[in-house]
Amino acid sequence: MQFGRGPATVIGCNAESQATLPRRRGWAYFAREYASSTRPASRRVFLLSNCSQPSRQGRFVHHIRSNSAHRAGFLAGALLLLGAWLPLGAQSFPPPPSVASPPPAMHEVVDEFGRNVRVPQIPARIVSLAPSLTETLYALGVQDRLVGDTDYCDYPAEAQKKTKVGGPINPNLEEIAALHPDIVLVTKEINRLETVRALDTLGIPTYATDAHTVDEILSSTQKLADLLGVPEAGKSLTGDLQARLVSLHTKLEGLPPSRVLFIVWTRPLISIGKNTFIADALRKADAASIVDSTQDWPQMNLEEVVRLQPDYLVFAAAHSESAARDFETLSSLPGWNILDAVRNRHFAVISEAVNRPAPRIVSAIEDLAHQLHPAAFLDFPTPEKPAAPVTPAPGAPNPPAAAPARVTRNVLQPFIQEFACAR
Amino acid sequence: MRPLTLTRLLVRCGILALILFAVVVVAMKLGAVQVSLYGLGKDLISVLLGRTSALSSDYGMIVLGIRLPRILLAIFVGASLSVAGVSFQALLRNPLADPYVLGVSSGAALGAIVALIIEGHLNLSPEMAGLITPVGAFVGAAITIAAVYLLGRRDGQIDSTTLLLGGIITASFLSAVIMFLMTTLSGNNLRGSAFWFMGDLSTPQPRSLQYFLSFGFIVAAGAIYTTASDLNLLLAGEKEAMHLGVDVPRVRIVVYIAASILTGLAVSVSGTIGYVGLLVPHVMRLIFGSDHRMLIPASALGGAIALVIADTLARTVTSPTDLPVGAMTAAAGAPLFIYLLRRRLS
Amino acid sequence: MSTALRHPLPGDASRANSDVRLSVEQVSYAYAANPSQAPLFTLEALSFQAKPGEIVAIVGPNACGKSTLLKLISGALEPLSGRIFLNGFATHSLPVKTRAQRIALVQQESRLIFPSRAWEFVLQGRHPYGGGLRFESEEDVLIANNALAQVGASHLADRWMDKISGGEKQRIILARALAQQPLLLLLDEPTLHLDIGAQVDLLESLRRLAAQNRYTVVVVTHELNLAGEYADQVVLLQKGKCLRVGSPATVLQREILEQVFQAPLSVEITPSGRPRVTLFTNK
Repeated sequence: MQFGRGPATVIGCNAESQATLPRRRGWAYFAREYASSTRPASRRVFLLSNCSQPSRQGRFVHHIRSNSAHRAGFLAGALLLLGAWLPLGAQSFPPPPSVASPPPAMHEVVDEFGRNVRVPQIPARIVSLAPSLTETLYALGVQDRLVGDTDYCDYPAEAQKKTKVGGPINPNLEEIAALHPDIVLVTKEINRLETVRALDTLGIPTYATDAHTVDEILSSTQKLADLLGVPEAGKSLTGDLQARLVSLHTKLEGLPPSRVLFIVWTRPLISIGKNTFIADALRKADAASIVDSTQDWPQMNLEEVVRLQPDYLVFAAAHSESAARDFETLSSLPGWNILDAVRNRHFAVISEAVNRPAPRIVSAIEDLAHQLHPAAFLDFPTPEKPAAPVTPAPGAPNPPAAAPARVTRNVLQPFIQEFACAR
Repeated sequence: MRPLTLTRLLVRCGILALILFAVVVVAMKLGAVQVSLYGLGKDLISVLLGRTSALSSDYGMIVLGIRLPRILLAIFVGASLSVAGVSFQALLRNPLADPYVLGVSSGAALGAIVALIIEGHLNLSPEMAGLITPVGAFVGAAITIAAVYLLGRRDGQIDSTTLLLGGIITASFLSAVIMFLMTTLSGNNLRGSAFWFMGDLSTPQPRSLQYFLSFGFIVAAGAIYTTASDLNLLLAGEKEAMHLGVDVPRVRIVVYIAASILTGLAVSVSGTIGYVGLLVPHVMRLIFGSDHRMLIPASALGGAIALVIADTLARTVTSPTDLPVGAMTAAAGAPLFIYLLRRRLS
Repeated sequence: MSTALRHPLPGDASRANSDVRLSVEQVSYAYAANPSQAPLFTLEALSFQAKPGEIVAIVGPNACGKSTLLKLISGALEPLSGRIFLNGFATHSLPVKTRAQRIALVQQESRLIFPSRAWEFVLQGRHPYGGGLRFESEEDVLIANNALAQVGASHLADRWMDKISGGEKQRIILARALAQQPLLLLLDEPTLHLDIGAQVDLLESLRRLAAQNRYTVVVVTHELNLAGEYADQVVLLQKGKCLRVGSPATVLQREILEQVFQAPLSVEITPSGRPRVTLFTNK
């Protein structure tokens, strides 16, 4: 300890040349020098240190001790942290709730993602994480077994009353778990892989569907019906839908396909790729999407669209008025007026059902076919439509917006006949 | 004059740890599903005693299987990001430095995306599949760390300014590559990456990964802590630090690698959660001063507290929908940043 | 003195000539901006020695190699030829921490990213004696307090570093250097930002400290008169060459100064034997 005249008292010649000077003596030397100093503050320091001088040896040891003391403390803290993780992390999840009845019989199926899933023979509690799946469940008549669905499941109206578990992309795992589902249905299209993995970790079986064509939608529906124990309802539903599609195909046979641009979003211009079920739905309505891309939601270059000059622009909207407004906005944008379809007001609006791989898509297909190829349906009544879009026939003046479609057609029939030949 | 002593350090850390404990208890109680604290306490005790069969399965699955891992992940990520933030602020001598400034997060994001793409072509068992994204992200982070290190050298040593420039350029380049990949590749798996960019703690992680993360945190944070008093001096200037006995090249490299590893680990499991690494160090500095021996553990605990709170809000505010936790940290972080900025200027 | 707080080296006490502390022997330095260019000689071989308690002033026009010489003495640079000994040990070969226990460098300004208090700043001077996970002991605190007292800045201990004046900051920086308990105190143009009164204060303190605590002080300065008044030795450099070493009266002479600084001046000797340089303005 070198309290003395200042921080550097160690540097007396005494110190340097006498490395082996016993500490006490060196201290005494400095103490003497120091006592003669006139600074009262320092003297107080001197006194203070004088009192503690005998423990200087101890202070050195204390020095070392405090070093190892907090090293030990540090280590202990680290071990505590690691230790806290272990028992909780090592916790294996308790088995699913044991109901009063004997555990259900399980069997293994392969879902459309290629995964092997163990599910009960007849799942009693279903959670759907996609609006299309919810619709399908209602169409199959198993809605009583549906215990939870997403915020966006809005069709049919009763689906909105089911317990909500969040969005398709970010469902709340706790809510799902609290419902104790036997099976959770997902689609590859709008659900995330992470959600599926998370449910796997929790021991909840998930079944994924993945439809890229309308036929796949039907087969997917049948598989779902088999999975849920209602194969007959599935056969009846798919049979009916298939029949309608066949009938549609017959009527449209021979007619050249209408070249269309299906507009998902206007700014930026986003359409659908050729491998999506929407593109296939368009084909079923004898409409060919001009977009030749393998991406699901390709962003289109307006120049490319102009080069390809589609016959019709197709919108999917819940209300025809908003679609008409969208079209007006679009036609006022620079560059769009080059399109024949815009100048001739060739746009078709169909229900949003076309966006969902569910039974309702067939209705949307039929609706689109009627709008694009009215000549093929002159002798047949117009199909059931959930919404009532207003589509001006080519060349005809705009009918009043609120008129129902059937009236419109009858009024315009002579005109259509006249122009049908011209096409 | 009251320098930091061991007792003062432990007492303050103890207080912060108690706050963290209280926050964790509240977080375990809150959620989409109601849980009572009493039942919770009983279950925790039986778990710690090893009697897992005595749990009521509702709690067991939900609290211990979903909530607690998520809370622990938030603790880990919050602590890692905050310690990394403190380290980079000291290393780069820049109060605006955050863990992502040197491009590690972009590298991790690219690694995760590449892993997702590769995974589509491989047939993996479920556990492996769960690991591939974090592993890919970490590999991407590691490569970026090495690349930025090589870019950031001058005369064979890391130079703060060159490092910062190299990191920013690397981050921009990698972001461009990521945007290119995301637009040109189809694939529904990539939809999840939007969430990744916003920061997402909702995916439970495999157990092996949890162990690896804890171990990695302890090693990296421990390494940084050994340089804590050197960092105090480094802030005064590198030449001055050298004249005061700091082995500057060694400190720089240890801190750079350890802090980058912490960032890489955090980002590979949770995506890029912003503001935590930037602001928690500043708040802790306001409370406890700039001494890194106090600041580093305080930031770790403070970051854990902040992120647990943010995550709890993210999963309860718009229940049942999960908000991405990055949105919460940004919503709270931006006003806080403005406040700190004004305070600093006044 | 060998206590727990300073780690003595074998060379410390065995130097035969215990009178000389700092010995600069035929030191030169060159550096090449490009590997392809020929190296520039920033400093040609020079030698001088200094004793404990002495103040050495290094003077010369701009770009004469003053700062390079100081960096060589501080051990930051390795000399191209020759060696620098401090108590028998080559400064460059010492490990960084040991070097910091023996050599303290006072720089002009300290850029602080995050503000700290003056006492925290001075306590940093104790780092060479601990570091790692060590916390400052009471001795460290007392040494730091003493350092502050020695520079007359005890009243500034609790002030924030970014809220004090330049002169006060200079004193705190000096206090930190003193807290290192060095053998050698190096100062790089410490009077640059100070007013005349503060300059004199500083040099007076240096003289007092050097005498009391037996430091060897090396000051690089532009101020010829301060060098003349306070230094025990003056080293005059020009373009990397050492023109003269010796007492102020022998070095600061009119002919050589006029040649080096290219300015008309006159030198008179004060009653105390110190030279005083006066510049003439051109008419």
